[in-house]
Amino acid sequence: MKKSRNFKKNKKNYRQSKLSLFQKSDLKFTKNCPLSGKNAPVIDYKNIKLLKKYLSESGRILPSRVTSVSLKKQKELSRSIKRARLLALL
Amino acid sequence: MNCYEHTLIAKQDLQEDQAKILVNKYKDIIIKNAGKVLKVEEWGLKNLSHIIKNNKKGFYFHIKFEGIGKTIDELEKAENIDQTLIRYLTVRVKAHDLEKEYFEKKKL
Repeated sequence: MKKSRNFKKNKKNYRQSKLSLFQKSDLKFTKNCPLSGKNAPVIDYKNIKLLKKYLSESGRILPSRVTSVSLKKQKELSRSIKRARLLALL
Repeated sequence: MNCYEHTLIAKQDLQEDQAKILVNKYKDIIIKNAGKVLKVEEWGLKNLSHIIKNNKKGFYFHIKFEGIGKTIDELEKAENIDQTLIRYLTVRVKAHDLEKEYFEKKKL
Protein backbone atom coordinates (compact mmCIF):
# COMPACT_ATOMS: atom_id res chain seq x y z
CA MET A 1 0.00 0.00 0.00
CA LYS A 2 2.69 2.37 1.08
CA LYS A 3 4.80 1.43 -1.86
CA SER A 4 2.13 2.16 -4.45
CA ARG A 5 1.44 5.57 -2.96
CA ASN A 6 5.10 6.41 -3.26
CA PHE A 7 5.08 5.36 -6.85
CA LYS A 8 2.22 7.71 -7.65
CA LYS A 9 3.99 10.57 -5.97
CA ASN A 10 7.17 9.87 -7.89
CA LYS A 11 5.33 9.76 -11.17
CA LYS A 12 3.88 13.19 -10.58
CA ASN A 13 7.28 14.63 -9.80
CA TYR A 14 8.73 12.93 -12.80
CA ARG A 15 6.28 14.57 -15.14
CA GLN A 16 7.11 18.00 -13.78
CA SER A 17 10.84 17.53 -14.00
CA LYS A 18 10.99 16.52 -17.63
CA LEU A 19 14.44 17.46 -18.81
CA SER A 20 14.26 17.05 -22.55
CA LEU A 21 11.79 16.85 -25.38
CA PHE A 22 12.55 13.20 -26.01
CA GLN A 23 12.52 11.92 -22.42
CA LYS A 24 10.36 8.81 -22.24
CA SER A 25 7.50 8.65 -19.78
CA ASP A 26 7.26 6.00 -17.06
CA LEU A 27 4.09 4.55 -18.47
CA LYS A 28 5.05 3.97 -22.03
CA PHE A 29 8.34 2.28 -22.80
CA THR A 30 8.03 1.81 -26.54
CA LYS A 31 7.66 4.76 -28.85
CA ASN A 32 7.27 4.70 -32.59
CA CYS A 33 9.75 6.35 -34.88
CA PRO A 34 8.70 9.99 -35.42
CA LEU A 35 10.22 10.12 -38.92
CA SER A 36 8.67 6.99 -40.51
CA GLY A 37 5.10 6.18 -41.37
CA LYS A 38 2.46 8.30 -42.98
CA ASN A 39 2.63 12.09 -42.80
CA ALA A 40 6.21 11.95 -41.53
CA PRO A 41 8.36 14.98 -42.36
CA VAL A 42 10.88 14.66 -45.19
CA ILE A 43 14.51 14.52 -44.08
CA ASP A 44 16.48 16.98 -46.17
CA TYR A 45 19.70 18.92 -45.64
CA LYS A 46 17.80 22.15 -46.38
CA ASN A 47 15.17 21.49 -43.71
CA ILE A 48 17.11 23.12 -40.88
CA LYS A 49 14.13 23.42 -38.56
CA LEU A 50 13.72 19.64 -38.48
CA LEU A 51 17.41 18.82 -38.19
CA LYS A 52 17.88 21.15 -35.23
CA LYS A 53 15.47 19.01 -33.18
CA TYR A 54 17.90 16.09 -33.40
CA LEU A 55 20.97 17.99 -32.24
CA SER A 56 22.18 18.58 -28.69
CA GLU A 57 22.78 22.10 -27.42
CA SER A 58 26.42 21.92 -28.41
CA GLY A 59 25.50 20.78 -31.92
CA ARG A 60 26.19 17.05 -31.67
CA ILE A 61 23.85 14.45 -33.16
CA LEU A 62 21.56 12.86 -30.56
CA PRO A 63 21.66 9.04 -30.35
CA SER A 64 18.65 7.16 -31.69
CA ARG A 65 18.09 5.48 -28.31
CA VAL A 66 17.17 8.91 -26.98
CA THR A 67 15.05 10.08 -29.90
CA SER A 68 13.69 6.60 -30.89
CA VAL A 69 14.35 7.21 -34.57
CA SER A 70 14.55 4.00 -36.60
CA LEU A 71 17.92 2.79 -37.85
CA LYS A 72 17.16 3.54 -41.48
CA LYS A 73 15.98 7.07 -40.74
CA GLN A 74 18.87 7.74 -38.34
CA LYS A 75 21.33 7.03 -41.14
CA GLU A 76 19.45 9.36 -43.44
CA LEU A 77 19.30 11.98 -40.70
CA SER A 78 23.00 11.92 -39.88
CA ARG A 79 23.88 12.13 -43.56
CA SER A 80 21.75 15.23 -44.07
CA ILE A 81 23.03 16.86 -40.86
CA LYS A 82 26.59 16.45 -42.14
CA ARG A 83 25.62 17.99 -45.48
CA ALA A 84 24.07 20.96 -43.72
CA ARG A 85 27.23 21.38 -41.63
CA LEU A 86 29.34 21.50 -44.76
CA LEU A 87 27.23 24.36 -46.08
CA ALA A 88 27.54 26.13 -42.69
CA LEU A 89 23.78 26.04 -42.17
CA LEU A 90 23.96 24.27 -38.79
CA MET B 1 20.18 11.66 -67.06
CA ASN B 2 20.42 12.03 -63.32
CA CYS B 3 18.89 14.66 -61.08
CA TYR B 4 21.28 16.84 -59.09
CA GLU B 5 21.05 19.69 -56.63
CA HIS B 6 23.93 22.12 -56.44
CA THR B 7 24.52 24.78 -53.81
CA LEU B 8 27.09 27.57 -54.06
CA ILE B 9 28.35 29.95 -51.40
CA ALA B 10 29.92 33.13 -52.78
CA LYS B 11 31.87 35.72 -50.84
CA GLN B 12 30.09 38.58 -49.13
CA ASP B 13 31.63 41.46 -51.11
CA LEU B 14 29.60 40.80 -54.24
CA GLN B 15 27.44 43.32 -56.08
CA GLU B 16 24.03 42.27 -57.34
CA ASP B 17 24.95 42.38 -61.01
CA GLN B 18 28.11 40.42 -60.25
CA ALA B 19 26.00 37.74 -58.58
CA LYS B 20 23.86 37.37 -61.69
CA ILE B 21 26.95 37.02 -63.87
CA LEU B 22 28.31 34.37 -61.51
CA VAL B 23 25.15 32.25 -61.64
CA ASN B 24 24.82 32.64 -65.40
CA LYS B 25 28.42 31.51 -65.82
CA TYR B 26 27.71 28.21 -64.08
CA LYS B 27 24.36 27.81 -65.82
CA ASP B 28 26.17 28.07 -69.16
CA ILE B 29 28.68 25.42 -68.10
CA ILE B 30 25.85 23.03 -67.25
CA ILE B 31 24.03 23.65 -70.53
CA LYS B 32 27.22 23.28 -72.59
CA ASN B 33 28.00 19.89 -71.04
CA ALA B 34 24.80 18.00 -71.85
CA GLY B 35 22.84 19.32 -68.87
CA LYS B 36 19.49 20.96 -68.34
CA VAL B 37 18.85 23.65 -65.69
CA LEU B 38 15.41 23.32 -64.10
CA LYS B 39 15.40 25.90 -61.34
CA VAL B 40 17.63 28.50 -59.72
CA GLU B 41 16.96 29.66 -56.18
CA GLU B 42 18.56 32.62 -54.46
CA TRP B 43 18.75 32.30 -50.71
CA GLY B 44 20.44 35.66 -50.32
CA LEU B 45 23.03 36.81 -47.82
CA LYS B 46 23.15 34.52 -44.81
CA ASN B 47 25.28 34.22 -41.72
CA LEU B 48 27.60 31.22 -41.76
CA SER B 49 27.30 29.07 -38.65
CA HIS B 50 31.09 28.99 -38.36
CA ILE B 51 33.90 30.97 -39.93
CA ILE B 52 35.18 29.56 -43.23
CA LYS B 53 38.39 31.05 -44.64
CA ASN B 54 37.88 34.30 -42.69
CA ASN B 55 34.32 34.72 -43.99
CA LYS B 56 31.39 35.31 -41.66
CA LYS B 57 28.65 35.76 -44.25
CA GLY B 58 27.96 34.34 -47.69
CA PHE B 59 25.67 34.58 -50.68
CA TYR B 60 23.80 31.32 -51.23
CA PHE B 61 22.66 30.06 -54.63
CA HIS B 62 20.86 26.80 -55.29
CA ILE B 63 20.63 25.19 -58.74
CA LYS B 64 18.48 22.18 -59.59
CA PHE B 65 19.54 20.48 -62.81
CA GLU B 66 19.72 17.26 -64.79
CA GLY B 67 22.97 16.01 -66.20
CA ILE B 68 25.58 13.30 -66.56
CA GLY B 69 28.89 12.67 -64.83
CA LYS B 70 30.79 14.89 -67.23
CA THR B 71 28.55 17.86 -66.40
CA ILE B 72 29.61 17.75 -62.76
CA ASP B 73 33.27 17.21 -63.60
CA GLU B 74 33.35 20.37 -65.70
CA LEU B 75 31.26 22.34 -63.21
CA GLU B 76 33.46 21.52 -60.22
CA LYS B 77 36.64 22.04 -62.24
CA ALA B 78 35.55 25.63 -62.90
CA GLU B 79 34.53 26.14 -59.27
CA ASN B 80 37.79 24.89 -57.83
CA ILE B 81 39.72 27.74 -59.41
CA ASP B 82 37.09 30.43 -58.72
CA GLN B 83 38.35 32.90 -56.10
CA THR B 84 34.91 34.39 -55.37
CA LEU B 85 33.46 31.13 -54.03
CA ILE B 86 33.74 29.89 -50.48
CA ARG B 87 32.23 26.43 -50.87
CA TYR B 88 29.96 24.25 -53.04
CA LEU B 89 28.02 21.02 -52.67
CA THR B 90 26.50 18.67 -55.24
CA VAL B 91 23.88 16.15 -54.14
CA ARG B 92 22.23 13.51 -56.29
CA VAL B 93 18.50 13.13 -55.71
CA LYS B 94 16.01 10.58 -56.97
CA ALA B 95 13.42 13.14 -58.07
CA HIS B 96 13.25 16.91 -58.02
CA ASP B 97 10.86 18.73 -55.72
CA LEU B 98 10.45 22.02 -57.56
CA GLU B 99 7.70 23.51 -55.42
CA LYS B 100 8.99 23.48 -51.88
CA GLU B 101 11.47 26.19 -50.89
CA TYR B 102 13.04 26.02 -47.45
CA PHE B 103 14.75 29.40 -47.70
CA GLU B 104 12.99 32.53 -48.81
CA LYS B 105 15.01 35.50 -49.90
CA LYS B 106 14.65 38.37 -47.49
CA LYS B 107 13.57 41.59 -49.12
CA LEU B 108 15.34 44.65 -47.87
